Formats: sequence, C-alpha cells, structure tokens
Amino acid sequence: MYKVYFYIVLILFLASCNVTRVVKPLEKGEQRVSANFGGAGIKYSGAPIPLTLTSINYQKGLDTNVTFTGSFHTTSAMFGVLQTDLGLGIQAYESTAEKFGVTISPMLNILYDIHENNLRLYPQLDATCWWQYGEKPHLFYGSVGTWVELQKAKAHLQIQDNELLPFVTVGHQFIGEKWDVQLELKYIGFQHDNRNVVVDFIGPSHYGSAGLFVGVGRRLSK
Amino acid sequence: MKRLIYIAILGLTSMSCLRLDSFLYNSDTSISEYLLDDFDGETEIQVSDEYDIADSLVHLFTLNSNLDGDIASIYTIYVGDIGRISSDTVILYLHGNADHLDRYWPRIKLLANTGHKNRFGVFAVEYRGFGLSEGTPTEEGMYVDADAAMKWLKEQGLTDDRLVVYGFSLGSAPATELTANARTLQPSKLMLENPFASDEVMVEDASGLTLPGSYFSDLEIDNGDEIQKIEEPFFWMHGTSDAFLQIGTHGETIFKNYNGSYKEAHRIEGATHTNVPFVMGYETYLDAVEKFITRP
Repeated sequence: MYKVYFYIVLILFLASCNVTRVVKPLEKGEQRVSANFGGAGIKYSGAPIPLTLTSINYQKGLDTNVTFTGSFHTTSAMFGVLQTDLGLGIQAYESTAEKFGVTISPMLNILYDIHENNLRLYPQLDATCWWQYGEKPHLFYGSVGTWVELQKAKAHLQIQDNELLPFVTVGHQFIGEKWDVQLELKYIGFQHDNRNVVVDFIGPSHYGSAGLFVGVGRRLSK
Repeated sequence: MKRLIYIAILGLTSMSCLRLDSFLYNSDTSISEYLLDDFDGETEIQVSDEYDIADSLVHLFTLNSNLDGDIASIYTIYVGDIGRISSDTVILYLHGNADHLDRYWPRIKLLANTGHKNRFGVFAVEYRGFGLSEGTPTEEGMYVDADAAMKWLKEQGLTDDRLVVYGFSLGSAPATELTANARTLQPSKLMLENPFASDEVMVEDASGLTLPGSYFSDLEIDNGDEIQKIEEPFFWMHGTSDAFLQIGTHGETIFKNYNGSYKEAHRIEGATHTNVPFVMGYETYLDAVEKFITRP
C-alpha cells in the first residue's frame, strides 16, 4: 500500500495551508518577500514526518496599519493547480509602547486547476496577538483562525459537515536588519477525530493535525 | 531578477503536468509465476485446507485485452468446470489494489466454496500491469480487462442472468462501471466489498476540504455517482474499522446513492479494509453471499 499512501500524502502537499499571514503590519511603503515551507505532520511507517509544501509571499505596507499580503504556492503549481492567497493584515490594536498588538487578517485562498478549470475559493480569517520583547524587534505571536468551506455539498451530494477548518498557532519571528526567520507551530482541524482517517495525522488525543512551518523573509527598501 | 522570475515561471509551467495517477496503483510485477496454494507472501486472508480446490478445477490462462489498439496479454484464473459455464452461475471476481492474484487466491478459493464447493464458477482477472499481466495499470485498462473476461465468459456460453460481479476495494471500480454501463454482458447482480466511492472522497477524507479530484489526478472513477444508474440487485459489505476507505464516506455514500431494485448492507463491526470475510466468519460470509446470489 506504500504507493497509495504516497499518493495521499501528495494530496496533502497541495491541500495544506501555510505561514503567509501578516504578524505585524509593515511600515507604509515597506515591502517584504519570503519563501515558506512546511506542513502538517503525519506518521509514515510509524515514524513522524513533516510534509513540506512551498510558497512564495509578498507583503507591502499600504498604510501604517494595513499591509497587503499575497502568496503563490509553488508545490501546487507543479501539479497544474494555481493556488494563491490574497489578503490584508490590519492592525486592530497596538499598545502605545509598540510592545504588544493584535492583527486581524481577512484573506482569500484561490485554487484553480488548468486541467479541468475547477475553481475553489476559501475565505480565511485570522486574529494574531504579537508581543515584541527585549531590545531587538523579535516577535512572539499566537493566532487563531479558520478557513471557510463554501461548497454546500461534499462529493456525490453528501452533506457538508466541514464548514470550517480552524487552526491555532504559536510562532516566533527572528527579525534582523533586513532578513527575518519565522517558525510556527500550527494545530489544524482540531474538531476532527483523526482515527480511521486515510492518513495517520499527528494530533493530540487523536484530534486534528499538528504541523511545523518555516518562513525566511527579506525586507526591501521603501 | 526579471530573468529569474521568467525561468521560475517556465519551470513551473513545464512541471505542471505532474499528476498522481500512477501512484494510485500498487501492483507487484516482480513474480515469475503464480504460486497460488504455494504462495507464502502476504495475503489478504488465510483460509484452511477445507476450502482447497481440486487442481483439475483451477485453470490459469491468458486472454488478450484490447485498450484502443494496445493489446495486452492478461492473466485470469477460472475456478470450476469450464464446460459447465453455459449452464452455471459465475462470479466474476475483480480484485483490489495490491500486488497480484496470488495475494487474492485465498479469497478466490473461499468464494469458490459458496453454497458448497464449486457450486458457482469463480473467474478472477489480473489487471494489466499487475502480476504477470502485460501493460501498465490504468483506469480504462481495468475496465477493458474486466470486459475481456466477460467476452471470454460469453464465448463459453454465459448469459447476462447468470453473471454476478464481485468487486473488492479498487475492484469496485470496474465492477460498478461495467454494471452501470454494460459492454459485453449485463451482470445480473452486483456485489461490492469495501468499495471506493471516488477520488474526490479520498481527497476530502485526507484534506478536510472539498477539493476536486482533478487537482491531483486524471482519474474518473466515480462509483458514488455511477451506482445511481444500476437497477440490478446490489449487495454491499464494509468493515466499520476500515481506515483506508472509510465506511462513512465511501461505502455509505455508494449504498445511499443506489436506487435500484434491491439492496442489502452488511456493516461488519471491527473489520478493517482487508479482513471482512475473516471477521464475519467464513461460513457466515459464504451464507450471505449464497443467499444474495440465489435470491430470486
């Protein structure tokens, strides 16, 4: 069954979400590009392995409190699926000392395959609390969010019972003068029992799937 | 920088033809002969000597199967008296997605004990690209190979009313397809064990999202919809602990969508993807199969 299992694992390459949200909005006019990889963790032959999907992301500060973000998912493209996510990072709250803030990110995930022209849209909403500690601008953050399923029925007109694909994350952004590195742990679909599912997901108490994501970003001059 | 972007786009465009279809098939072509009773590799179930079949009633031979001009020599096993096909009921057994016919030989033997030993003929097909059958596994290849078996049965005198098709796991695809859209013979009854609803359902189970199957493969296996075309009586059994093709998303969908003349379900508590007959108990399993086949 190993080949079939590989088939299913490859499906997950394409179907996982990743770390492309705006943690803290950029300055107006500031730009950032990043390469991201990582994915949900699964067990393969009993051993835990991470999936590694890849994407590239571009962010630009539209205003002091609003940053545009857009990504292109390179792994999906290899299979003829054009996958992008577009959205905003909006500073909903920031302490006067800029040590703590809340960013709200409405986003839209767009997937389109060039083989049969099938289009899927998944709205996404995240809320991220960030904490800038110490002298350097490093950020520790935590998020809650969800993908929203717009399909009213599942395959063969079965009842749609997966309206939301929620997730929680904790992460850290190491920020240098131009470069930054983002590490994020994500727990996806925690309402779903992952026993008797075609893939052996790694998730606490047999629910959902935990994943590890990494992003490497570079800030561009205004 | 622009040059790099162009190269990246060109690279991604050229790679965008990657599809997962070939990863679906889990065939083993490393064998040099079929060993049947002497096979000591992994099998789906084990059965005792009491279910053995006399060598004289085991016929291993090849058929030519034509896929749009691509003619493959495929292996088949007929269990029973070939001379009685013109009057016997025959179970066409379409195996699952693993290795080759040796793996399924205990299941084939078991079915040949339905009612009593060799009451019904059992005919099993090795799809192209599995075991010693020539060619490469493909979805349409499975269909034409199963149809090649039906052509041979018809040549031996089998008629529609005495053909029962039994599909296990991946074998549910040719079983459902050739019952819904008959080519050479119109099977009179359809039996599915732990069936596969479609690529879409597998994607939904794996991802938690309602994504089209076309994002990943060109497969058109669609038992969940094709079953709606079938009028012939339908028998379904599925293990409740099947972690590969889940009973709730695959099996129940097919059973629910069937709207034909008669259907019966056997949800086997604790059984997995491969051991339904064992968990049921072989005699209970054979009784259920016999009752369905002999049901007027």
